[in-house]
Amino acid sequence: MITRMKEYRARLGMTQEKLAETVGVRRETIIFLEKGKYNPSLKLAYSISRALEAGIEDIFVFDEEQG
Amino acid sequence: VKKKWTMITYAVISMLALMLLLSRENVYVVIALILGILLLGHREIWSLIRYRRLPVIDERVQNNLTGAMRVTGCFFFITSIVLIMLLRFNVFHETPTGLIISGLLVIVGIVYLLSYHYYDRVRPNLGERAIRWLTIYLITAGLSLSTIALAIALHNLVSAWLGIEEAFFFILGLLVAPAVFAISLLGSLVVFLKGMWASFAGVEQA
Repeated sequence: MITRMKEYRARLGMTQEKLAETVGVRRETIIFLEKGKYNPSLKLAYSISRALEAGIEDIFVFDEEQG
Repeated sequence: VKKKWTMITYAVISMLALMLLLSRENVYVVIALILGILLLGHREIWSLIRYRRLPVIDERVQNNLTGAMRVTGCFFFITSIVLIMLLRFNVFHETPTGLIISGLLVIVGIVYLLSYHYYDRVRPNLGERAIRWLTIYLITAGLSLSTIALAIALHNLVSAWLGIEEAFFFILGLLVAPAVFAISLLGSLVVFLKGMWASFAGVEQA
């Protein structure tokens, strides 16, 4: 899974801390998500995409090779 | 609110346990418990000091907690069995029991902390095949451990019943099952370490 969270977050000028607070997770979780080290649940992915004002498929891109 | 009450209940029970242990002069266990509490709740304690609120228990933390508790539970179970067997053969004849229990508690705290920290680094680096192997190894370890206890009990039972020194359960309980147990533990450890190594190297294991 490739995430474009960092890019969308930067566009909105939002900090990791602020995003974490908005979606109700820890800042570490945002760090792991941005590094592609954690696959979020559908609920969390939806909350993040709403907070970043984009679609889920725009932020979380499924990589056929990596899975 | 539920989380707050859980924390308060946990704190009260810990305080009562500490007072009870202090009254029985189990100083080693008290020190180990305090260290264990500090190790287990270090994130919560740090957040309370810095932000004056408890950190969010999100889905990633919940997954890690479940993984860490499972690993620590297995560790505690295995260590207890080994310690009971060692105590049975009077290996710790001169050592105070409090010291053994306190050492065990501190080690459990450390294992919990390590597995909690590394679980989310290791888990994403394990491919489906590696996870399948890890599961097989852990199940085999559990089954072989149960087999040891069961075979020893059956050996004693059959030997007493027939009045002869029974061989099958003896070999199974004292040779085959411990060997399978050791191989399974080593195997699971290898898979886990491979995942940990991959997390540092940034490579996914097949």
